[in-house]
This record gives sequence, C-alpha cells and structure tokens, in this order.
Amino acid sequence: MIDAIRSNLGPMMFGGLILFLLIGYPAAFSLAAVGLFFSFIAIEMGVITPSYMGNLTFQLYGIISNDLLLSIPFFTFMGAILERCGLAEDLLDSIGQLFGSVRGGLSYAVIFVGAILGAITGTVAASVIAMGVISLPVMMRYGYNMRHATGVIAASGTITQLIPPSLVLVVLADVMGKSVGDMYAGAIGPSIVQVVLFCIWVMILSIIKPGDVPALPPEARTLKGWALVRKCIRGIVPSAALIFLVLGTIFMGLATPTEAGAMGAVGAIGLAAMYRTLSWKLTYQAMSSTMRITAMVTMILIGSRVFSLVFQGVGGGLWIEHMLTGLPGGQVGFLTFTMIFIFFIAFFLDFFEIAFIIIPMLAPAAAKLDINLIWFALLICANIQTSFMHPPFGFALFYLRGIAPPTAKSRDIYLGSIPWIVLQLILVALMIAFPQMVTYWLEKPVTLDPAALEKQLGTMPSYGTIELQGLTPPKP
Amino acid sequence: MFKLWLALATVGCMAATVAIAWFFCRELMPLSRAIDKVGGVLGVVASWLVLLACVVSAGNATIRYLFSYSSNAWLELQWYMFAGIVLLGSAYTLKVNEHVRVDLFYGMVSDRARHWIDLLGGAVFLLPMCIVMVWFTWPWFVQSWTLNEASNNAGGLIRWPVILLLPVGFVLILLQGISEMIKRAAALRGFHQHEYAYEKPLQ
Repeated sequence: MIDAIRSNLGPMMFGGLILFLLIGYPAAFSLAAVGLFFSFIAIEMGVITPSYMGNLTFQLYGIISNDLLLSIPFFTFMGAILERCGLAEDLLDSIGQLFGSVRGGLSYAVIFVGAILGAITGTVAASVIAMGVISLPVMMRYGYNMRHATGVIAASGTITQLIPPSLVLVVLADVMGKSVGDMYAGAIGPSIVQVVLFCIWVMILSIIKPGDVPALPPEARTLKGWALVRKCIRGIVPSAALIFLVLGTIFMGLATPTEAGAMGAVGAIGLAAMYRTLSWKLTYQAMSSTMRITAMVTMILIGSRVFSLVFQGVGGGLWIEHMLTGLPGGQVGFLTFTMIFIFFIAFFLDFFEIAFIIIPMLAPAAAKLDINLIWFALLICANIQTSFMHPPFGFALFYLRGIAPPTAKSRDIYLGSIPWIVLQLILVALMIAFPQMVTYWLEKPVTLDPAALEKQLGTMPSYGTIELQGLTPPKP
Repeated sequence: MFKLWLALATVGCMAATVAIAWFFCRELMPLSRAIDKVGGVLGVVASWLVLLACVVSAGNATIRYLFSYSSNAWLELQWYMFAGIVLLGSAYTLKVNEHVRVDLFYGMVSDRARHWIDLLGGAVFLLPMCIVMVWFTWPWFVQSWTLNEASNNAGGLIRWPVILLLPVGFVLILLQGISEMIKRAAALRGFHQHEYAYEKPLQ
C-alpha cells in the first residue's frame, strides 16, 4: 500500500492539481498549495529530503531576478498606452482609404493594420477594440457581410500574438529556456505566412462571393491625392519608428528584449504626447493595469515553480515524459497529439496557465524527441491564438461584442470566427509540414549536436534558467 | 503519532480560521478595511514602480549606446523594481479579484457558492501557502542581513532589501487573504456587499 503510493506520487499529484484547479480558487495559490501539500507527504514517505525544499528559495530568487520576465510589465505598459493613444485610428482610416477601391479593400486594410499594430505591441485588446470601433461601422455601412466583417477584425486582432514583439513569445522563451531574440527571429516566417493566408482568403471570398466584400463607392473615399498621402505618412511613420525602436534594436543587438520593451514603452508615451492624448489619468490607468497583470502572471509562475519543484522531486516529470515519448509515430505522433491537446485545453485554461503549467511538462519530451524547441514553441503559439476566437474565452470575440453596434448579433460574431480558426489551424499544419518556415530565420540551423542536446536535457527539468549568483540557501 | 497530531492540528487551525471569520466577521470588518487600505497604498506604490522601471531600463540602454557606459547598480535596480511590482502589487491584485482562476466550474455557480469557494480556499490554500513561504524566505533574509550580502557584480547593490521583499510580499498576501475571508463571510451572512466580481484578466 505505502509502496504503491510512494511510486505513484507523480500521477496522484497530477490528479490533485486538476482537482484543486477546477475548484476555481486563484490558480497561483492553489498550485503552490498542492505543491506544498504533496511535499509534506513526499518528505514523510522519504521520497524527497527536507533539504530538497531548500531549492525553493533559489527558484523564487530566479523568478524575481529574471531579466526576461521584466519585459512583461514593459510590453504590457506599452500596449496599454498605445491602446488609448489614437495611433490605430489614424492607421485604419488612411489605409482603408488607400485600399478602398478594391473589392475586399477594407478587409485587407484591417489585416495590414492588425499586422502593423502587432509588430509594435503585443496586446490583442488594443487592436480588436480600435479596429472594431473604426472599421466595423464603415464595413457595415457599405454592405460587408456581417460575419465576414466581425471575423476579419477578431482574427486580425489576434495575429499580434505571433508577430514579434509578442508577450506570448517572451513567456514561451522563458519556459523553453531559449533566447527571446531567436524566438522572435523564428516567428518572422510564420507571421508572414499568416498574413498571406488571411489575404488569400479575402481574395477567394472577393471572387466567389463578391457581394460579401464590396469595394467602397467613390463618395466614401473622401481623401484623395496629397491629402491621402499625408494622412498615410502621419499614420505609418510613427509606427515604423516604434517598430524600429523595439524590433530593430533587438535584431541589431543594440538592446536586450527587456530594454527594447522599455524603450518601446517610453516611445509610446512620446507618441501619445504627439497625438495630444497623453494625460496623467491615461498614464496612471495604464500603470495600474500593467501592475495587476504583472503581479497576476508572476504569481502563477511562482505557484507553478513550487508545484513543479515537488513534481520533479517525486518523479512526476519522468512519468509524463515516458508517457509522451511512448506515443506511436515518434515526432509527428507527439506533435499531432500535443497540438490537438493544446487546442482543446485552451478551451479551459488561459494562456499563462497553459504556459506555466502544461508546457513545462511537454517540453522535456519534445527535447528528447529531437524537436527544435523554438519551432515547438511557435507551433504552440500559433495554436493558442485560436483560443482568442472561440468560446468560452474568445477574448477577441468578447471585446468585439463589447463595442459592436447592436445590429451585430453574437451569433454572427461567433459563426464569423470559424473560417479564421480554420485558417489558423492550416497555419499550424503548414508549420509542421515545413519547419523551414521557422528555422530559415534562425541564425544558425539547429544541428543535432549530442553534447548540446545533453546540456538541454540537463537544464530542462529546472524550468528555464535560474541565476544563482553565489547565493547560499538557508538551512531549513 | 506526533505527525498525525500535527496533521490534525493543521486541519483544526484551518477550520478555526473559517469559524472565526464566520462568527466574528462583523466585528472584524474594521480590520479588513484597514488591511485593504494598506494594500491599496502599496498597490499605488507598485503601479508607480512600473513607470520608474520603464524609465530606468530605457535610460540604461540609451546611456550604454550613447556613452558606452553601463552601471551594474542601475541594471540591478530594474529587477529590484520588478520584484517590488510583483510582491507589493499582489495583495492589491487579490483585493480587486484579478488573480486568474480556472472558471470552468466557478463560472457556473451562484455568487454564494463563489463566496464559499473564496472563504474555504483562503483557509485551505492561501493561508498555509503564505505561512510556509514566509517560513522559507525569512531565514534567508536574516542570513543576507547579517552577512550584509552584496551583489557579485562590480558596483552592484546590497541584496537584503530585495530578499526582504519576499517575506514581506507573502505577509501582505496573507493579510489580504484574511481580509478577503472576512469580507466573504460577511457577504455570506449579509453584512457586506462584495464589490469585485471576478472577470477573466484582459490580455
């Protein structure tokens, strides 16, 4: 009996995790509590020694001194400022007019603006709200199909998840123990393919169902000639400057991703001042919401580190790894299983929970199967993006619902997102079929160097990098 | 045998906390308000740290690029502030109910059931977790303080302030947890209208 419990503490802990999380108490605290509860049992049964728990202080120190996590508040803050500053409005207005004369022109405009906003910041809310407020009424007035209009706005708002600099990629880089720069470089290919896929779909629609995506009549295009050019420049130049400030400095090696985030945030404040929307109220709101999101995310991370420390100690990590590497079909079997699993788990868990709880369990198995972890992370990222567009969490749909006029029915919004979810899944399939899409942009192709792999395996169970910096733990 | 007693005592303590919150919630409301006030003030401090950290980090990068000068103290200050944002802001985040939950079940039940979940969860998950965390981190702070431990990097900062933030942060969460339990019990007994409904955090 006791032996059976002792050797099955891992699975029991996993069961306990699911049970306690389902109760609905904040995940950060139930995670830590499950971890500590099982640590007492494990110590009692002699599976781990009490001194093993002394590692907890290292883990905590590793979290608060992690330079990468520092970019979470910076990018969030930048997004929170940009959301309210009026840049998106200018962009949409000018690009919409520019493409207006083509069929589906407004849809293309929404997709491009979504991509530009995505390259500046990483928050879905900012893009969806701006595009919903400005483009949706115009699209409705000129006879766009309602489902298509809401779908394209929601989908284009979510592409910011995959386009660097995205918060999701920062978190995934940390969880996978990879550099953010590589993660961003790898994301370039899939981001482009995604935008192209969306445009192809709009083009197909404009051929088979021209009535759904009409061109704007000439009287709707108020700006012509120089006025239009000036308006476009006014929208695009500041965006390009911000994109350079953030992405350019990272890719050129001038700044770390964290510093680039900070510069972007300062740049965003400057931009808001330029648009004359900067006020103390706006700044404080942005600061406060950033602080709450940062605290929430980091507390989940702390909770999950407590959990996983004990989970590794009782051999749970090995148990999961054996199960996953034992799947039939090797790499492809593993990827298919994990992608389907993550697609469905995203109905129940939000991104940060998936990133900190689920992915650390999958990553060691992926590494063991020789799967490039950057490729794997980007697959997960593209996959999770769909969760913004389907119930129950569908944040993008939720924001859209909040600002859409009453004539846009919830039913339309939900049904309208389906083709875009399918496009997203096509992207995931393409990425699995053509890993070059990711690896082409990485500086050195990842070769299967046994020594490097060994090193990777050695570092994986510790869930990212922990800088000890000469600290000694207190004797417990 | 001793271990069994310890386990029973722990469960007894949890039950006693819930019982105290339940029976004395009206008398304890001033305490809860005082805790909320402390959490609120520190929440404002943590919010300002966001802006300060941004400015410091952007300044570090700019100065390094322009003057090829870099100071470890300023680099370390960045993440000291990050620790401040998280550990001082967590209690306030708990107060405004923005710690993310798995709301598969929680989203379906009534307000009363949610109050019960928060009241019992506070006693079973939050309080023990915070106590254990303080128990782990406090001796570490004491050690760092007595050794006057400093950063290994040249010109780096002394370590104890940031290590002190850990136990302090967990004590603050512990206090806020007690305040939340009092408010939930009061709401269940009809003395208090709970104002922060849970919403999924925005991204």
